[in-house]
Amino acid sequence: MRNTFEKTLLLVALVAAAPALANAAAAPTAASLGDEIFHDTSLSSSGRMACSTCHDPANAHAQDNDLSVQLGGPDLATPGFRAVPSLRYMNLNIPFFFANDGTPTGGFTRDGGARDLVAQAHTPLLAAHEMDNVDAAGFAARLAQTTYADAFRAVFGANVFAYPETVLLAAEFALSEYQRTDPEFHPFDSKFDLFLQRKLMLSPQELRGFALFNRPDKGNCASCHTSTRQSDGQPPVFTDYTYDNLGVPRNAEIPANADPAYFDMGLCGPFRTDLAARTDLCGQFKVPTLRNVATRHVFFHNGAFHDLKSALEFYVQRDTDPGKWYPLDAEGRVHKFDDIPPLLARNVNTTEAPYNRKPGQAPALSAAEIDDVIAFLKTLTDGYDPITNTADPARDVTP
Amino acid sequence: MKHRLLALAIAAWGASLAMPAHADDAALKAEVEALRAEVAELKAQVQQMHAVQVAPAAAAVAQAAPPAPAATPPAAPNPGRSMADAATGNATSLWGYGQLDYNRPTARAADARADLTRAVLGFNHEFNETTRVYGELEWEHAIASADDAGESEVEQLFVEHALSPNYGVRVGLMLVPIGLLNEHHEPTQFYGVERNFVEQAIIPSTWREGGVAGYGTTDSGFQWDLGVVTSPDLGKWDPTSLDGRESPLGSIHQELQLSKAHDLSIWARLNWLGVPGLNIGGAVFAGKIGQDTSKQFEGDANFPADNSRLLVGEAHVRWQSGPWDFTALYTRGSISDTQDLNLSFLGQPTPVPKSFWGGYAQGAWRALEWNQSSLVPFLRYEAFNTGAAYASLPQGFEIPALPTQRVWTAGVNYYLTPNVVFKFDYQDFRYDDPALNYGNRFDLGLGFQF
Repeated sequence: MRNTFEKTLLLVALVAAAPALANAAAAPTAASLGDEIFHDTSLSSSGRMACSTCHDPANAHAQDNDLSVQLGGPDLATPGFRAVPSLRYMNLNIPFFFANDGTPTGGFTRDGGARDLVAQAHTPLLAAHEMDNVDAAGFAARLAQTTYADAFRAVFGANVFAYPETVLLAAEFALSEYQRTDPEFHPFDSKFDLFLQRKLMLSPQELRGFALFNRPDKGNCASCHTSTRQSDGQPPVFTDYTYDNLGVPRNAEIPANADPAYFDMGLCGPFRTDLAARTDLCGQFKVPTLRNVATRHVFFHNGAFHDLKSALEFYVQRDTDPGKWYPLDAEGRVHKFDDIPPLLARNVNTTEAPYNRKPGQAPALSAAEIDDVIAFLKTLTDGYDPITNTADPARDVTP
Repeated sequence: MKHRLLALAIAAWGASLAMPAHADDAALKAEVEALRAEVAELKAQVQQMHAVQVAPAAAAVAQAAPPAPAATPPAAPNPGRSMADAATGNATSLWGYGQLDYNRPTARAADARADLTRAVLGFNHEFNETTRVYGELEWEHAIASADDAGESEVEQLFVEHALSPNYGVRVGLMLVPIGLLNEHHEPTQFYGVERNFVEQAIIPSTWREGGVAGYGTTDSGFQWDLGVVTSPDLGKWDPTSLDGRESPLGSIHQELQLSKAHDLSIWARLNWLGVPGLNIGGAVFAGKIGQDTSKQFEGDANFPADNSRLLVGEAHVRWQSGPWDFTALYTRGSISDTQDLNLSFLGQPTPVPKSFWGGYAQGAWRALEWNQSSLVPFLRYEAFNTGAAYASLPQGFEIPALPTQRVWTAGVNYYLTPNVVFKFDYQDFRYDDPALNYGNRFDLGLGFQF
């Protein structure tokens, strides 16, 4: 009897509370608006491009095609300048600063020009080769037409659309909140994570690859792509957020490179302008996370490589067999470091392993060892399923 | 203290002389008897305090180097002493020491370095006869700033309360009572320009932790210590750096700098100082060092060494007789549950050792002495290994033990006074390790304390 009474009471309470609960569930937040904006193609001049077009959630929030640079603008025909970075784990990134020893560190986008996760969204929303909204007014006008415009007003103020600059900043903030709070962007559920949590053991080949990845005399990858936990227990993100100049070959697939006078030099320009005078930094790009690296379709800032094996071979053979990676000049000599002006070629990192070798020497990793490292790198793919021993970043994405 | 009691007794005797003449004899007699009893009691107290002083003084003698020809004990208050030892003139006293070194590797002269290694100021303030605060402030390498290599640090800061003349309790940041050098690290207290390797690499002198500790002595010459203190933090281990290879514990102790304090440790020490000149004893330091790191990150992180335990043991004997001073010390440490942590460090240069050890034997001879000066040649042999064994890993990934380093050091301490010393020595390493700055070298040094 008492049981029945309690059930009845609970039912009545639930019915009474239902509208409030429904409202609470539906109440828009900055993060939920960020989710809407991230996937909304109507916010571009073409009507066919959203953030998610290039940062495909199913492909670890990176591109799902093989283009070195993506096409945007009103007809989706305007080429970009750099390869698309993954947005996963960007919530752990840090603002740009110079460390005590002068090392540039942190910052968002490949040249660190965006100070935080909010500023990161600014260029893609406006740039002519991306969503092409031109300015805040153009973006605000499109956002005002969306089905969630009222929700946007509810969160950011009833009169928000009277202030286009505020609309743009609020949208960038919403995108930031979405990336910061949605576990899709930082699931930490790769095979390597389960290994760190002692829930499984890596295969012998994966362990070999991990050791080669870490060893200072072999891959030395961990010297920049940090593979150890932070002191607070945070799993490794496989970047130390510093910058390096690897001398990646010039990529003819980027239309801008048709102009021999054009060079994308990362920290010192042309897109980032505040460090233009620091010519010693020319050619440096941010060290990216290697989580989900095996799902990438293009590698390095200019997308010069289209498969992981080639990228690894370049690392260890760049200096032992430069003719394999660089073109010949007019006099038939190998034009090493051809994607940076000759006077700045000295900036390329030639001191650290595995770049500290000479032509004819054995590369730091053999072909079999590269296969081992690739086997390890595949353990960094999100969405690991222990039953099938496969990983798919799409598993982390809410349908 | 002693003088104060004597003054009280004399005053009481004087007061008895000043008693009014008209008091009746019986009352006067009773009064005199009472005063006699009081004087007898005060005498007994003075004798008891004198006896208490003897044991710590013996300890101080046993630990001082050399067995001072001029026998002027260092003015600095020693944390190992009881309250009864403290200077009684002023409530607050200052002390300090300094160390300047010059090292010149024989094979790498370009690596020669001159350094103001340490400048230290200390203080002792007595709140009353049983309670004091004791502190040691240190600057290393001359300049400490964000852009310089120096460090500024509080090495000790504790309040001590004597519960009796024989024992008491301390609370604060304290030196771990282990080995012979950690508590007595002033340059006049050890032979050679640099501190011995064993008590740097294995016992990370100066090793200090925060907590509560009891101390005491017994009439039979025992000196004991027991403490509950903060632990090192294994989460600090950096496998990419050589710090852990140079000194496993030195790379993870916390020095009460926002120390993670989920896991605590205990220390215990027992020395026997019953024969003047002899110090024989040992110490242990034990506790968990994982610090519950798993819970600190808001994710599914699971620090693989949360249950790691540290155990460090040490035994020593030092015998000082006439001009001779002989020392032998052995210490060994172990860290448990490192297998999974090392698996996550695969291929990195510095995994966490399962065990590490070191020992040395040293002989010194006060060959010459004149006025307050003395000349003391010495010879020391050390062997130590900071990675003697590693937890087993899957086949093919085992971590080999590090080679054992062996070092001969021969040199001389020239004491201008017992508290000012010039030093010279030559160190011969069995194998050179430039990464750790190990290689044959000449050393020159100046040390003092006041």
